[in-house]
Amino acid sequence: MLSHLVVGQGLYYGDSIFYAVCFLLLMWIIKVLAWKPVTKMMQDRADKISNDIDSAEKSRNDAAELVQKRQAALASSRSEAQTIVNDAKANGQQQREQIVTQAQADVQTLKQNAQKDIEQERQDALSNARNDVADLSIEIASKIIQRELKADDQKALIDSYIEGLGKQHES
Amino acid sequence: MNDGPVSTFQFLGLTFSTANVVSGLVVFLLVVAVIFFTSRNLAMKPTKGQNFLEWLIDFTNGILKGSIPAKEVGGFGLYGFTLFLFLFLSNQLGLFIQLATSGGATIVRSPTSDPIVTLTFSLMTLMLAQFAGVRKLGYKTHFANYMKPFVFWLPISIFEEFTNFLTLGLRIFGVIFSGEMLLKLIWELAISHGIATMVVAVPIEMIWQGFSAFLGAIQAFVFVTLSSVYISQKLEVEE
Repeated sequence: MLSHLVVGQGLYYGDSIFYAVCFLLLMWIIKVLAWKPVTKMMQDRADKISNDIDSAEKSRNDAAELVQKRQAALASSRSEAQTIVNDAKANGQQQREQIVTQAQADVQTLKQNAQKDIEQERQDALSNARNDVADLSIEIASKIIQRELKADDQKALIDSYIEGLGKQHES
Repeated sequence: MNDGPVSTFQFLGLTFSTANVVSGLVVFLLVVAVIFFTSRNLAMKPTKGQNFLEWLIDFTNGILKGSIPAKEVGGFGLYGFTLFLFLFLSNQLGLFIQLATSGGATIVRSPTSDPIVTLTFSLMTLMLAQFAGVRKLGYKTHFANYMKPFVFWLPISIFEEFTNFLTLGLRIFGVIFSGEMLLKLIWELAISHGIATMVVAVPIEMIWQGFSAFLGAIQAFVFVTLSSVYISQKLEVEE
């Protein structure tokens, strides 16, 4: 039974060589068939996972940055809107005051003009009436005294008379 | 088992045992088949076969990493993987299939139940360890290690190499050989007195078969572990 262990009798050295060759061949076959592709795949997977982790980290940072940017933009646009509204209000106020001032000035001018016109009309009417009265008075007087009076000679007299009349009326 | 008549043949002036050659070829083909069918359609997202293969590779790499520094494992990964797969299937083969010729000579059994096979693997491991040591440390440092901690240690170091060679090979041989031997004895008991002994012996046979399968796995694991220990010893300068 243990004859194998007796050196030189039952140890088949051929088997030893056969197994060594078999094993080396097997190692080569496994290397080509499985070892290289599988370890490469495992390495690829490890790389991919670590890449994924890195890129996830990166995109998270990007997202955080984006949020910050957006908030900043929001705040700035809010303040901008506030400024615009304030400007518009100030402009409106200014314009209103301007318009009101303009209107007041216009009204003042119109009123002055109107008063001036009225005064003018009155003066005109008064002077017309004075002339008419002068002519009439001369005509009447010439008819009465039957003599041709030279209008221009008497005019100063009549004017002073009418002046006196006007003063009597006004008082 | 080798207690019956042994069938041998001559080739190139060397004697071959038919049982070893045939069983070795069977295991060889089994390993190739396992590797071939699990390594089809490799993908980034592993499927069944690939999962198994990757688990196995991680497992043997884990054994090696137990004693060899992680950055040196790469070169020995393939060796450990092939060794484990070959020894594991060798250990299991004889538990399930045992064939003999009509003359009684065994043709198929566990290759590892023959010391010449296990000693071949043992020698291979120790040669690889020497080679790795020389490649990493250089001849001078490598052989200087035999004279550490002092010069008179040299005979002990050489003797240690020899005992490593024997114990590594004979441990697995002893376990597998005795397992198969006991299986055969229990079977002889089972058929010795008809149905009565059969009823008693068959459950024992099954239990022992299960235990042997467990032992076979353990021995393959132990062999790879010790191989990595012997290799790692040669990779470092002794203090």
